[in-house]
Amino acid sequence: MTDTRPDWYRRKRTREIATVVCFLLPALVLFFLYRILPLGWNLWLSFQAWSPLKPAQFIGLENYQEMLLDDDVFWQALGNTLIFIGCSPLAIAAALGIALLVNSDLKGAAIYRTIVFLSYPLMTVAVGIIWRWLYDERGGFINYVLRQAGFITEPLKFLQSFDMALPSVIVADFWQVLGFYMIILLTGLQSIPQHLYEAARVDGVPARARFLWITLPLLRPSIFLCLVVGILNSFTAFDLVYVMTNGGPGHATELLITLIYKAGFGQTRFDYAAALTVVQFLLLVVLTWVANRAAGGNAGSREG
Amino acid sequence: MRRRHLLKATVLMPAAALPMPAIAQAPKKIAWLTWNLVHLESHIKQWIAGFVAANPGAEVEWIDKKGPELPAFYQTQLVAGTPPDVIDIQGALGLEYAGQGALLDMTALLAKDSAVKANYDADYLSNWVFEGKNYMVPYYVSKTLLFWNKNRFRDAGLDKPPATFAEIIGFADKMKGGEKTGLLTLNFDWLYWPFMQMNGIDLLSPDLKTPTFNTAKAAEVLSVLADATKSGAINGISWTGRWVEPNEAFATGNVGMLHAHAPAYFWIKGKGPWINGETVGATHVPGGWATPNSHGLGISKGSKNPELAWAFVKHITGNVVADSLARTASVLTGNRTVDQAQLARLQKDDPAAYDVLKTQFEFTDKMCGNWRLGNDSRVKDAFWPEFQSAVLGRKTPKAALADAERRVARELRRA
Repeated sequence: MTDTRPDWYRRKRTREIATVVCFLLPALVLFFLYRILPLGWNLWLSFQAWSPLKPAQFIGLENYQEMLLDDDVFWQALGNTLIFIGCSPLAIAAALGIALLVNSDLKGAAIYRTIVFLSYPLMTVAVGIIWRWLYDERGGFINYVLRQAGFITEPLKFLQSFDMALPSVIVADFWQVLGFYMIILLTGLQSIPQHLYEAARVDGVPARARFLWITLPLLRPSIFLCLVVGILNSFTAFDLVYVMTNGGPGHATELLITLIYKAGFGQTRFDYAAALTVVQFLLLVVLTWVANRAAGGNAGSREG
Repeated sequence: MRRRHLLKATVLMPAAALPMPAIAQAPKKIAWLTWNLVHLESHIKQWIAGFVAANPGAEVEWIDKKGPELPAFYQTQLVAGTPPDVIDIQGALGLEYAGQGALLDMTALLAKDSAVKANYDADYLSNWVFEGKNYMVPYYVSKTLLFWNKNRFRDAGLDKPPATFAEIIGFADKMKGGEKTGLLTLNFDWLYWPFMQMNGIDLLSPDLKTPTFNTAKAAEVLSVLADATKSGAINGISWTGRWVEPNEAFATGNVGMLHAHAPAYFWIKGKGPWINGETVGATHVPGGWATPNSHGLGISKGSKNPELAWAFVKHITGNVVADSLARTASVLTGNRTVDQAQLARLQKDDPAAYDVLKTQFEFTDKMCGNWRLGNDSRVKDAFWPEFQSAVLGRKTPKAALADAERRVARELRRA
C-alpha cells in the first residue's frame, strides 16, 4: 500500500517525531546508562566468579546454588526483609489514623501535622543515632521512662537482644516514615469530593460505613503509593540498620541490602553480591506487582 | 570541506586524550590513601612537603577515607586500575589484600634497605608476612591489653589484676551489681580472641586449612562467658558494641575491666576526667596474649611508580616523620628509634600513658588472632555471629561451635 499523504504532511510528521526523540533522548540515555546497563552488568556478574584482581570466569548458577542451598544467612536476611516489609501496613494504618485526625476539625491540626512530618526530612543516619541513644541500656530515654514508671527493674537491651533488635529498628523506621505516609494520605483525603460524604449523611449512612465505602476505596491510589514506598523503604533501610546494629546481634537485623553490602565491600565477593542483588530486584518486582494487584491494578487509580 | 575537518577534529580530540594517564599516574606523582587521619591534615601536608623537597619533581596526592569507606574506595580504585600507590590499612585487611594480589611484595625492597628494615620492630613487621613475603611495614602499631579500674577493684576488695581466666571472670562477678559490670571487651577484628587463646583454643590448624576450635574446652569457655554475660559480670556491650559504646561505658567508671587496644586509653581519658595513673591500671591478660590491630603502609601492585612509592613509605616511617606522628597522635609507630624516645618521654611526662604504651612492646611474641589468611574477613564473618549467639545465650555453645565450624570450613574450602 502506498502512502497517499502529501509530502508536506510527511515532513511535518518526521520533524515532530524527531523533536519528540530529541526531548526523550537525554532521559533515555541516562536511563540506559544508570539503570539498564548496571542491571545487565549485574546480571552477567552474578553468573561469574570475579574479584577486582582476578579475571571473570563463567560459573553458571553456582552463586545462586550457594545462596539458596548453602547460605543460611541469606534466608535469615530474606526473612528479616519480608518482616520489615510486612510491618509497613501497620505504619500506614497509624499514618491513616493521624491523617484522619489532622484532617478533622481538631484544634491545632496544622501544628500536629508539622510535628508528625518533622522526622521525615531528617537524615536516616541521624535517625539511627537518635534511636540508638533512645534505646540505650544505660542512659536511654526509653529505659529511663520504663524504670521510672515501675514497668521494669532491669534495663531492656533493645538492640542487643536477638528478639527485640529487629522490632526496635522497625519502630525507628516507622517513626521516620510516618510523616511521609501521613502527608500522602492527607492529600488523598482532601481530594475526596465532599458531596459524597454529604449524600451519605443525608442517606443516614453511619460513620464507619462512610469510612469503609467512601474513604478507603477513594484513598486507594494514596495507599498504593504508601505501600510501594514501604516496600522500597524496606529494601533501602541500609543506613538505619548499619548505624543502629550493623545487622547484629548475630544476623538478627540483617536485611538483604546489608548482606549485599557486606558480601561486596566487606568480603570482596562482588559476584555473590550481584546474585543477591538479582534476587532482591526480583523480589521487589514481585512485591510491587502484588501491591498493584491488591490496590485494584493500574497503580490503584480511581476510575470515573 | 571545512565542516568535515571540524567534525574529524571533534572526534579525534577525545580519542587522543584517552591514552593520556590520569593525574595520579603521571610520572613522579603518587597517591597516598590514609584511614581516619583527616584530623592530622596540617601535619600530613608538612610531611608531604618534606618528601617533595627531598625528591624534586615528585608530587603526592593525599586522600583520606573514614572507617567503613576505605575498603570500598580502595576496591573501586582497584577495579578502575588506578589504585592509590601507598595505602594505610588497619588490621588483617592488609593480609587479605596481599592474598588477593593487590599489594606489592616488599620483601626484596626491605632486604635491599636492611638498615631501614632493622629499624622496624620485627614482631610488628611480621604481622604482615603472607606466605613468607612481607607486604606492609608498620605505620602506627597497637595490640590489646587489660585496663583495670582501681576504684572498682578496691570497692570489691580486690587489690591486683587477674592472673588467670577464672580470676577474670571471678573478679568481674565480684564487681557487678546495679549499674556496675565487671568486664568489657572490644570485639571487632578478632580483638576478643585472647580470651580463647589463653584457654588453649586455636581457631585453625597450623596449615590454616582446618578449623580446630570446636572442642569441649571451647564449649566450656563459651559457657562461662555466656553465664557471666547473663549475670551482668560481663557487660553485654562487649558482644554488640564496636568502639564508642564499650569505651564510653568504661569511661563512666562503672566497669571493672576493659580489654581493648592501647589507643582506647587516650579515648577514654578524654571522656572520663577521673582517669589517671591512680585510678586505672594497665596490664596484660593472663598468658600475655594480645591481638594486634596496627596500621601498616603497603604499596599497591598496580602502582605506576613503585620506587617513588617505596621512597615515600621510607620517608613516612622514617625517624623524622614517625617522631612527629608519635608526638602528635600519642601513638607508637613500630619505628624502634622513635618508639624508644617516645616511651622515655612519656615515662617522664605522663607515667600513666607510659604504663599503657609500654605493654605494646612486651610479649610481642604472643600476638594472636592474626591469621595469615587471604579471606580473613569471610572467616571472621563465618565465626563471629555464632560466637555472638553463644555468648548472648541465643544458642548453646555446642550448637554455636558446630555451626561456626561448618561455616568456617566452608570458607576455607572456597579459599
